[in-house]
Amino acid sequence: MPGSVDYAIWFLGTLLEALVVVCALHRKIFTRYFFLNLYMLLDVLVSLGRFRVLLHDGWSSTTYRYFYFYSDALLTITLFFSVISLYVFVFEELKVEKYLRLGAVLLLAGTSWFSYAVVNQSSQRMFTHFAFELSQNLYFVGLVLTFVLWGAILKLRETRALLVQLVLSLGIYFSTFAASYSLSNLRPNAFAHMVYLVPAMGCLLPLSWAYAFWRVPDGARLAPSRLAVIPR
Amino acid sequence: MSRKLTTLFFAMVVLAGAMGLKTAVTAHGLGSVLLANGPAPVPRPWLNGPAPVPRPW
Repeated sequence: MPGSVDYAIWFLGTLLEALVVVCALHRKIFTRYFFLNLYMLLDVLVSLGRFRVLLHDGWSSTTYRYFYFYSDALLTITLFFSVISLYVFVFEELKVEKYLRLGAVLLLAGTSWFSYAVVNQSSQRMFTHFAFELSQNLYFVGLVLTFVLWGAILKLRETRALLVQLVLSLGIYFSTFAASYSLSNLRPNAFAHMVYLVPAMGCLLPLSWAYAFWRVPDGARLAPSRLAVIPR
Repeated sequence: MSRKLTTLFFAMVVLAGAMGLKTAVTAHGLGSVLLANGPAPVPRPWLNGPAPVPRPW
């Protein structure tokens, strides 16, 4: 059963997610970063829904469990498209948007097929387990995609400050989840406090995005740390 | 190689990498939820009722 700390983190996180949307609307970049804002907006609505179900049916109820994992699958798919939209921004000068869309559809279809294949082998409750498995697998696809995108940003010498900050915070978000899970499995007793790390990370991502939308101008550029040497 | 084939190849490489990474991370998993969206408290996945869960065979 969640305690007062859990509720406090949950409330803070939902507030920060709403702040991201407010900042984007204030700076008039809601439609430019549509999928990122859609993800945050959906997260706020889902949080409200989860809170209502939690109050009515309790934390250990089947209703909360079903609502949680179905809504989580929906959110993960939106997060996946948010990462793809960042790809579109980074590669917009190369005019490869059509291929990025094709790649996104292929990846989503491939992940769905893989999740189905896994669940089909081991479960009787196909649909419910499928939603859970798809959500977890898509997270790892998002993690790998974010690191590949970071590599592309370094290679292409991307200097748009807002874009760099959005991608970096997403990379840290994904990596912390994977690292905390690995550590807590290696030494379950030594890392008991990690139970608060997952929801706390759920607060840091919207905080970082809200800061980026609020403080970093859309056209701001980072000063390159070193200049490329061009042989004459 | 055409651009469409390159896209397909890239998608397959990412999928294989992601599933490989997941296998490595969850190799010693306890069946808990790995990743979840938002700050809401995470329920235990698909374990109905409060009874202790037996170890599999």
